[in-house]
Amino acid sequence: MKRDFKTRWLGSRAILDSRVFYFLPLLALFVPLLTNPYTQFVINLMLVYVLIAVGFNIVLGNLGQLAFTSTTCFGIGAYTTAIAMASLTLPFWIALLAGAAMGALAGLFASITALRGIRLYYLAIITLAFGELMRWVYIHADAVTRGTDGLPLPPAAFFGLSIDSEIKRFYLFLAITTLMVKGTSNLLRSRIGRAVVAIKDNEFATASLGIPTAHYIVLAFVWSGLVIGIAGGMFALLIGRVVPESFDLTALIFHFAMVMAGGLGNLAGSVLGAMLLTTMPEFLRSFPGIEEALFGILLVIVILLRPSGLASLLAGHLPMFRQRFYRER
Amino acid sequence: MEARLFYQLIISGIAQGAIYALVALSLTVVYRGTTIVNFGHGDFVMAGAFVAYAFVVLYGVPFVVAAVIALALLFALGFAMERGLIEPIKAGPHISFAMMTIAVGYVLRGIARAEWGREVLPMPRVFDLPPIFIGNVVITGDAIAFIGVVALSLGVFFLVLYATRTGQIVQAVYQSERGAALVGVNVRAFHSVIWGVGAAMGAVAGLLLAPVTLLYPDLGANFLIRGFAAMTLGGFGSLSGAVVGGILLGVAEQLLGAYVSTKLIDIAAYLVIIAVLVLRPTGLLGRIAVVRV
Repeated sequence: MKRDFKTRWLGSRAILDSRVFYFLPLLALFVPLLTNPYTQFVINLMLVYVLIAVGFNIVLGNLGQLAFTSTTCFGIGAYTTAIAMASLTLPFWIALLAGAAMGALAGLFASITALRGIRLYYLAIITLAFGELMRWVYIHADAVTRGTDGLPLPPAAFFGLSIDSEIKRFYLFLAITTLMVKGTSNLLRSRIGRAVVAIKDNEFATASLGIPTAHYIVLAFVWSGLVIGIAGGMFALLIGRVVPESFDLTALIFHFAMVMAGGLGNLAGSVLGAMLLTTMPEFLRSFPGIEEALFGILLVIVILLRPSGLASLLAGHLPMFRQRFYRER
Repeated sequence: MEARLFYQLIISGIAQGAIYALVALSLTVVYRGTTIVNFGHGDFVMAGAFVAYAFVVLYGVPFVVAAVIALALLFALGFAMERGLIEPIKAGPHISFAMMTIAVGYVLRGIARAEWGREVLPMPRVFDLPPIFIGNVVITGDAIAFIGVVALSLGVFFLVLYATRTGQIVQAVYQSERGAALVGVNVRAFHSVIWGVGAAMGAVAGLLLAPVTLLYPDLGANFLIRGFAAMTLGGFGSLSGAVVGGILLGVAEQLLGAYVSTKLIDIAAYLVIIAVLVLRPTGLLGRIAVVRV
């Protein structure tokens, strides 16, 4: 079949548009040229939050379960990484893998409650209680976690290269985040992702098609926990000292808000939501209270006027986002 | 001596549990009426306390008047919130409701913090009731006030629910929304009113807390989780279960704190939630609560 220039490069949107997304991490490589150490820190934090939002969205948006697991997996990932580095003196990459594994384990536990028939608000409440219980453990297991003082991390190195500046952390984080987001995107567009969305839409119908729903529910929770656990390990490295209050209810609300603002079940939206909500408080930090109220009002407006998230705004104006949006919704 | 301590703990547990019962009951009232769990309810409790504080301390209004103002304001807030923010997203997923209620709670907390900063506020005492002695067990004035006001509120609530026409309407909608609509109940108005009532009942808990505890903008979260624990323990969605669960939770906290470790007071609620949902999801008085696939 003859394919002329136009259909090959312009007419076929799928090819042209999806390639745009490969350039974003490449463009990001040049970001450190424009930053000072503080803005670089905020951007690194943004990369951590992107992973949290993407991971959390798998359970909330794609699987459609009201499970507040993000701070649990995040905290467990962060503490595991910190303990592995500080007490067991393991290298960073092994500690990060351990954090990911423990995050995934936390996800597995959450999925077991969901499989036992604890759903909807029950699931929300039990995961909320478990998250708060974990925070109590961080505070009171001071022999291991050093309680409210926080657990400091030793200097980290990645295969001999010391990661001692914000810019070095940025390149490491960019690589990890890009890898995990792309991995999640592939996963969600595979048979697994379609099964997960089918379970959200109608679990009984999905099961009656012979799809093992329990497997996919477990898988979604575990993958979500894994991604957020990695984010926890990165966060520990970035902050340098893991303290219990990083994993409190306010943090949970923040994670939830990133997913909702971006759009439930929308991967590009989660990335966008995380970026927006990480930068917004930086401009409002000097007004205590006002910041919170504005944040709340913004959320109310988004849910009221854009229930499908801010990504749907972009989808209306930018063709490449439209493509993504409708495919992954 | 031991027995005296035990009774003393039971009394203070009931007093504390009365507050949890009120929070749990107000959550349940809204949940049964609209199938929405208000994750911002703790902030309604906080708002009730802060409104009372503002009127008593800043404007010198008597506490009773301030209490009436707080109840009216919170009723209006609940009503307006249902009409303006919940109803328009009715068609959306339940996750949106959770986010919406959290967001409204966040706004309330932000307003409180913008006004009062991060300090904790003491309020002059209001009900200085003399303590009662039964044998050698003391019931403090605060405990009397807590138990008395909550018992009164519960009495009024259940009387209205079971002995008046309004109560019959509420029961009808709880049973079947469509059925109630078919026999002429204005379900839309009902939803807004029930949100107002729920918010006002939460505010009663806040009003009781205001004069005896220190106020800070984040106090709601504690009561929200304890309200959830009480609901879960009593049976999610059961009105009397919420009350029973609240009081049991209050007593359990006191006993755990005294006989095991004070550290456990903070996590009694979480442990109750996890244990009940894993072992007996229907709670003590609940009905079918589980979706099995």
